Amino acid sequence: MPDFRNKIRARLAALQLSPVREAEIVEELSQHLEQEYERAVSCGASDDEARRQVLEQLNASDLLSRELKHVERRISEKSTALGSERKVNIFADLLQDVRYGLRTLAKNPAFTAIAIVALALGIGANSAIFGVVDAVLLRPLPFKNPNQLVMLWENAAHLGFPRDTPSPANYLDWQKQAISFTGMAAMSERSFNLTGVGEPERLEVRRVSANLFELLGVPARLGRTFVPEDDKPGTHVVLLSHSLWQRRFGSDPGVVGRAVTLDGESYTVVGVMPPFVQLPGFENRNDQLWVPIAFPPEEATQRGNHFLEVIARLKPGVTLKQAQAEMETIAARLAQQYPVYNMRRGAVVVPLHEQVVGDIKPALLVLLGAVGFVLLIACANVANLLLARAAVRQKEIALRLALGASRSRLTRQFLTESVLLAMLGAGLGLLLAFAGIRILGTFIPPGISQIQTISIDGTVLIFTALVAALTGIAFGLAPAIHGSHLNLNDTLKESGRDSAGGVKGHRARGLLVIGEVAISFVLLIGAGLLINSSLHLRNLDPGFRGDHLLTMKVNLSEVKYPDRERRAAFFDEVMRRVRELPGVQSAAVAGNLPLTYNGDSMSISVEGVPDPPPDQRPDVIFRAIGPGYFGTMGIPIVRGRDFTDQDNGDSKEAVIISEKTAQQFWPGQDPIGKKLKPGLSTSSSPWREVIGIVKDVRQNDFVASPKRQMYFTYRQLKNIAANALVVRTSMEPMSLAVPVRNAIWSVDKDQTVADIDTMDHIVAQAVARQRFSMLLLGLFAALALLLASIGIYGVMSYSVAQRTREIGIRMALGARRADVLQMTVKQALNLVAIGMVIGLAAAFLLTRVLASLLFGISATDPITFIGISVVLLAVAILASYLPALRATKVDPIIALRAQ
Amino acid sequence: MASPVPDRELKKGSAELMILALLEDRARHGYEIGQLIELRSRGAIRFNIASLYPLLYRLEKRNWIRGRWIEKPGQRRRRYYRLTDSGRTVLSKQRAGWREFVEAINLITGIQHA
Repeated sequence: MPDFRNKIRARLAALQLSPVREAEIVEELSQHLEQEYERAVSCGASDDEARRQVLEQLNASDLLSRELKHVERRISEKSTALGSERKVNIFADLLQDVRYGLRTLAKNPAFTAIAIVALALGIGANSAIFGVVDAVLLRPLPFKNPNQLVMLWENAAHLGFPRDTPSPANYLDWQKQAISFTGMAAMSERSFNLTGVGEPERLEVRRVSANLFELLGVPARLGRTFVPEDDKPGTHVVLLSHSLWQRRFGSDPGVVGRAVTLDGESYTVVGVMPPFVQLPGFENRNDQLWVPIAFPPEEATQRGNHFLEVIARLKPGVTLKQAQAEMETIAARLAQQYPVYNMRRGAVVVPLHEQVVGDIKPALLVLLGAVGFVLLIACANVANLLLARAAVRQKEIALRLALGASRSRLTRQFLTESVLLAMLGAGLGLLLAFAGIRILGTFIPPGISQIQTISIDGTVLIFTALVAALTGIAFGLAPAIHGSHLNLNDTLKESGRDSAGGVKGHRARGLLVIGEVAISFVLLIGAGLLINSSLHLRNLDPGFRGDHLLTMKVNLSEVKYPDRERRAAFFDEVMRRVRELPGVQSAAVAGNLPLTYNGDSMSISVEGVPDPPPDQRPDVIFRAIGPGYFGTMGIPIVRGRDFTDQDNGDSKEAVIISEKTAQQFWPGQDPIGKKLKPGLSTSSSPWREVIGIVKDVRQNDFVASPKRQMYFTYRQLKNIAANALVVRTSMEPMSLAVPVRNAIWSVDKDQTVADIDTMDHIVAQAVARQRFSMLLLGLFAALALLLASIGIYGVMSYSVAQRTREIGIRMALGARRADVLQMTVKQALNLVAIGMVIGLAAAFLLTRVLASLLFGISATDPITFIGISVVLLAVAILASYLPALRATKVDPIIALRAQ
Repeated sequence: MASPVPDRELKKGSAELMILALLEDRARHGYEIGQLIELRSRGAIRFNIASLYPLLYRLEKRNWIRGRWIEKPGQRRRRYYRLTDSGRTVLSKQRAGWREFVEAINLITGIQHA
């Protein structure tokens, strides 16, 4: 039978059809011609004659190509055939690769689903955490040119306050002398009782320099902000926060110009600020009102009283360093001028952004690192899957290479597939992130600024897309390179027995397991350290018994209760009524409660001891309390006695000190009966006799060790008023909130009652951030452990399956099941051990960044390290034991027959 | 089809109609189609492969017919064409048009039905 194919092909050449199409036409037409030829022969024609007849049809003219030209699409010189060596058409290739990739993925639904879920977990966690990082760390503060804004602090590092609040006199000197700034503004906390509109309420207020809002670049939403004329003592003007305006004034647009009663005095509303204006500062406060700071003359000259927060804006072109240098020069000059107050006091310039995010930054970065690790593990898992699949696809690859596909073209196609997988994972991951961010939001402790702005936005989407692309390349690269470097001969010849394994593939998978184990180990160590810290925190003795304690703020108006007699009368009556309530075991007047307030400390002098130089006078935290406070709070009195009602203005001035204070000032002596007084020994305030010693209490900071403390009874203080109540109850404390409040209102119906809370909740809030970091890191570590054990299991069961035949031979030759088990588990553990050694080294280096988040343990805590090693080892043994066990159950005969 | 039809178009149109009609009942391969046309026209109409196959490809491109490679045991694979739904619609329209055309010719040329 003559072959007509070449003749036909020659006539099609001019058409430049795609090779595939050309081949089809040639096949179809040649079949037709062959049949005609057969018919001619069967009709009696000779071979040559038949051949001539048939070819006549083709030779008649160039009819075929002319007719076909109208029908067939002429393919440009560029081909889209897979693996063709012709010039590259990137878009056509890409489109084809994507289609091909989708088809391949759809053909392996189990593989695709596992890979996508693993990637979605990794990418989703990254997107969610990045959403938080973006909102909190990366996004600029909501002020005009926020990069120019700085906070100015005094540096009293020698007293333990590297960022101390400046005193008014120092601030005013800074303002006069500094030339690095376009403006400087001061803020100071206070609170007001709002009366006259509905229920009386205690409001958090800040006194601010009139230029503050202009300095920040925040205009008023209604009315105006302050003007320089407002900044004079006696000007009673006020700016409302958006939330207060909505809540108490019904969003009344005519509120500007109205008068409101604050602490019994009338103030004129000049404006309403936009929502979410959160002034930066030392404390996380929720300002409801702003008034001009308007230093009265006696305040403006105070140099030893440190209570301001100062914001400044750098002049354009002035660097942080220059400003810092200038401020240090000024501080040195002031220290020389006023050695009594300013000796060794420097000044610090801190960028506002650093000030705001400084606290939360390490925790967030640790979390970002942790989710990065989770993603790496997910990548390793998917890479493993791809490697295994690439092994299965070796024949296909080899065939295409043999047909002339270039290796780079194949690599590109593999990468397209893995990026496609990553994109699908990212899509699902984004859904997880949406849900995750919502859940994160409910866990994030209050006080982290900009929390309202956390969301999945364009930045997060771009981040996710980038991560997905990088991820796809990361986990696709190894299988792609591995897959495209096949030895054609071997692969095509192989019957398939070992073709799926191969030394190279084996090694690549081994490396992935080592990597997974190492990364999981680091993550688990981090989580272990944090969990351990949190256990330490839980077992920490705060110095008081927090259960069954109801607390509330009762700030007395200075207008209504100007002296201590009237204050005492009010509290006496309130105490009498509260103590009668059913369910109340005891109650006491308190000062600022532990863990609610960072301030109120002073230096003291001791009778008979010469005053130390100014820079060596230790500060002591003081609180004004009423009788029964220690008993109610559950603070043990170690020696001496509690205050009684007889400790009042008419009796000897008394003080109760903490154990730490006793050790500092009277080491090895009995302090009872000794005397001390606030400030210098030459000051006019009276000596106070130590009547009791109590246990140390964690007043300011739950995590740091307690500082020196002392207590006065509010009945012996002229100015410092007690401002809280604490009630020990025999039932659920909150159930008594309303009766106690009503008892207070029955004494004075205009008295504000604020911050009703339980002591347990206050303590929980104080450790909320640590808990939060621990919770998240623990979650990610669990995820990592899960992914890593799946990874180890996957690799082991795959490699055991590959060796079924070998295992069969061994068992046929007399190996016992235990021997085989031991052999396979040992092999897995070799990899795991290498991974753990690497992980251990990395953990030693990396957990240092955790140091600031840890409490009570070091970053290299041996118990944590050992404990985590055991956990990981156990998981690894289990993950390799199960596939090994399965392998030994195979009948040797079947195993031997297995190809 | 009531308007005057140029010779070339007439041939082409009739060829299309013939192919569609042959595929109405079952799928056939190209050689079979060529043979059937020759057979049923009693040798009056013969298609050269250089005109038959381009025509098949054209019809396929218009989505009136569809070709598929079909393998049968012990044979080489062959390309079978079958009528698509839109091909079926076209066939019935062309049939009706052709009938009108033939009747019009008959009326004019006076050829009477037997």
